[in-house]
Amino acid sequence: MSASSGALRSSLNIGARRSQRLAQAMQRWPVSVRVAAGVLGVLVVVALLANVIVPLDDTAVDLDRVLDGPSAAHLMGTDEVGRDLFARVLHGFRISLTIAVLAALAAVTVGTLVGVLAGTMGGKVDALVMRVTDVFASQNHFLFGILLLVLFRPALGGAGAVMLAVGLTHWPSLARIVRGELMSLRERPFVSAAIGGGASRWRLARRHYLPHLMPAVGLAFVLTVPHAVFHESAYSFLGLGLPAHEASLGNILADGQRSLLAGGWWIALFPGLAILTAAMTIGTLAEYWREHLHPRWRSELEL
Amino acid sequence: MVKLITRRLAVLPLILLAVATVTFALTEISPFDPVEAYVGAENNVSAERKAEIAHAWGFDQPVYEKFGRWIYNLAQGDMGNSIVAGGQPVAGEIASRASASIALVGGALALVLAGGLVFGVLAAAFRGTLFDWLVRTLCYFNTAAPSFWIGLLALYVFSIELGWLPAGGTSDPRAVEAGGVDLEHLILPMVILALTQYAWFTLFVRNTMLEILREDHVQFARAQGIGELAVLLRYALPNALIPFVTLIGTHLAELIGGTILIESIFGWPGLGLLALDAARSEDIPMIVGITLCASVLVVLGNLLADVTYRIIDPRVREATT
Amino acid sequence: MTSLLEVEDLSVGFRTRRGVVHALSHASVTIRPGELLLVVGESGSGKTVLAHTLLALLPRNVDVSGSVRLGGQELLDLPPAELRRVRGRRMALIPQSPASSLNPVRKLGGQLLEAARARGLREKQARTRLRELLAELGLDLEFIGGRYVHQLSGGMQQRVVNAMALVGEPDIVIADEPTSGLDADLVDATAAQLREISARGASLLVITHDLRLAERLAGRLALLYASRIVEVGPTMSFFAGPAHPYGRELLRALPEREGKSIPGLAPELTALPGHCAFADRCPDRFDRCGESIPDLYPAPDGVLARCFVHAER
Repeated sequence: MSASSGALRSSLNIGARRSQRLAQAMQRWPVSVRVAAGVLGVLVVVALLANVIVPLDDTAVDLDRVLDGPSAAHLMGTDEVGRDLFARVLHGFRISLTIAVLAALAAVTVGTLVGVLAGTMGGKVDALVMRVTDVFASQNHFLFGILLLVLFRPALGGAGAVMLAVGLTHWPSLARIVRGELMSLRERPFVSAAIGGGASRWRLARRHYLPHLMPAVGLAFVLTVPHAVFHESAYSFLGLGLPAHEASLGNILADGQRSLLAGGWWIALFPGLAILTAAMTIGTLAEYWREHLHPRWRSELEL
Repeated sequence: MVKLITRRLAVLPLILLAVATVTFALTEISPFDPVEAYVGAENNVSAERKAEIAHAWGFDQPVYEKFGRWIYNLAQGDMGNSIVAGGQPVAGEIASRASASIALVGGALALVLAGGLVFGVLAAAFRGTLFDWLVRTLCYFNTAAPSFWIGLLALYVFSIELGWLPAGGTSDPRAVEAGGVDLEHLILPMVILALTQYAWFTLFVRNTMLEILREDHVQFARAQGIGELAVLLRYALPNALIPFVTLIGTHLAELIGGTILIESIFGWPGLGLLALDAARSEDIPMIVGITLCASVLVVLGNLLADVTYRIIDPRVREATT
Repeated sequence: MTSLLEVEDLSVGFRTRRGVVHALSHASVTIRPGELLLVVGESGSGKTVLAHTLLALLPRNVDVSGSVRLGGQELLDLPPAELRRVRGRRMALIPQSPASSLNPVRKLGGQLLEAARARGLREKQARTRLRELLAELGLDLEFIGGRYVHQLSGGMQQRVVNAMALVGEPDIVIADEPTSGLDADLVDATAAQLREISARGASLLVITHDLRLAERLAGRLALLYASRIVEVGPTMSFFAGPAHPYGRELLRALPEREGKSIPGLAPELTALPGHCAFADRCPDRFDRCGESIPDLYPAPDGVLARCFVHAER
């Protein structure tokens, strides 16, 4: 009883110390980073609570209100069948961001696994794996992603295929970094001492490799999210991603393209602004993090 | 130099083989059924007919045989037949659409280089001023804004509202196919495509210039009383051009990828639109064909960048001859 | 005898994130026409900042106060266009590292001509002048002109840079760390080159941390420590016996003397003490040293030293 409460107290202390450290770090943030963090925080909360704020009702077709411009009743106007655009953009942001986060996770997972494989096996495996990495790295993400979408959409569905398309195109730079880090780590005295001392692979990975790799992997993840948002919306916009009835940002933009000739500029404007805001805020935070984390990765982590 | 070019060109088939292998492996792994894609919406096709089609196209053969035939055909320039081209060879269709894309990508590249250099150098020269801040902010905005969104807004403003430029397509597809330039229809897609890479180049030039302006030889030039404009243009710029050139190769791939979205928005009849049509019709041979062509272009672009790099940097030039 | 260059009460501070770095505090020196002045100090003592201040090569985040007069003309508040005419023409720099001070991607001919034209010489004049000057230094303009800097030996690079400094027949030449990166056996050659430049009649300001080079050049010597001039006087009397304890300890630290390095570290330039900056490391320290900053007091042989030992006389 007392032992467990002691453990609880100490873990609470650690938690308190961590939040204290975070608070101290935040005081050093430049204004732009603080603004970005604030805006992104609001966006994420709004996206998570989208169902509470404005429930999405696809059947709320109001043919009297087709292509109404922004007004007090409809903040972002209505679309070509009279649905409230604000609700659709809000839900679209939630859908697109969720897919983007999962897609970025997929990319980071592939990159880390490939990097670890090459970096720990070495020799011929390393050479082969890195040549394959070169092939993937030399491909244009978007074009190659389309090939993957066409091949796998029938089996995985739109969302799954988008995640796969992003996951299989955005991993080479991280794989190269992970491999390089592992290679240089093995040369470092404390690791070679651990190897010489007969440490198990698992222990090496847990004590020495992972803590060194985590910052790079985390940063690669954050940097990939805006790319994934772009890819999802672009694929859906072209009709190759999510099914047309899903309110993803790309699908709303496709609606917007159809409505342009009828003068409905707002349908194209607002979902794009959502993408822009997400990309700018995440980009600002990632850039700040990258500069403070590891100046050397500045050039290497160009996704 | 000749050695470099021949060596690189010798590696080209190997790179193509690697890309072909990876794409082949992906098509084999995927549950995608090419026969279904071929028969498309005709759902009254019998199982026997499907088997016949599969046999005729060789889909029912063992994997190694299919792979061998694919590579054999590829070596002879045969990338298979395309669905969107009505069963015609992929290669021929790509060739007939290439000139429209070359005009688009070439024009965009020229715009990117010119704009990136001018604004990058000016921002570096006036670093810390309002102008510099404006250039950097716009670039930052530009990198975060999706190109097709900017394209849509530009389409609305310049074509629909103001009516200055045509909304899309080309008035004379045959002329474009034959290599003619339909500038009126080309301007909007070209500028928007350039915008996808413009920010990157501008910021790169600015930062390289700032780095070089801190170097010893620039300080020494200043110490001799050489004017700031001459220092900028004759002492810093030539050195900044060297890393700049190497970027062109890598960013060519991005420009080619960008054509898919841009050509789709503006209805420009190039390879991007072809790739999109192919994707919508699940025309795998065509998409793979375009992917392979893009790989060749990227290799050639990198080679061109390396050759230029060696021409303008005396240090490297000497090391390679 | 009037002085050519008068530096009076010159202070230079860099505004950085860690606070203001006081690179130079209240420095005053003068150079007479044809004179050779050595500015000696460890790295971080402010000597390169002095050279860069004179040539207006400082970055923007810098505060400069005091006065720098060349032939009676104040330089610190000169507009850029006029300053450009002073730089190079009346005052020239021989940079620290010739290899990195020449543009790597342009042929040297163009750079040499541009250097000459920046001094107001016409194309034809510039060519003749450069040809003569390079010939005196044992180089051929046609040979050098068609080459890039990496194609020349270190000695040739040095002479090209010297030619660029001398082409405008400057009144004063500033040599920034002429022996940095050179092998010890090249110190004699460098000293000879500098004496040659001095023999042309120009005043010479040599910035160096190399006491062996200083010993081979006569003239006067100013010793810098923690952004201040702590001793100034004839070079000969410095090497015969420095008036400031820091100079004395510095000479004792030379490997050919006792080779005993001075204990402790120089103070941070962001947090200079309000008393003698050397007090904490000084073997002769007494109470007063920890209370206020000493002035430059007259010591024997026409030397001035910033030490309370000389305050009483």
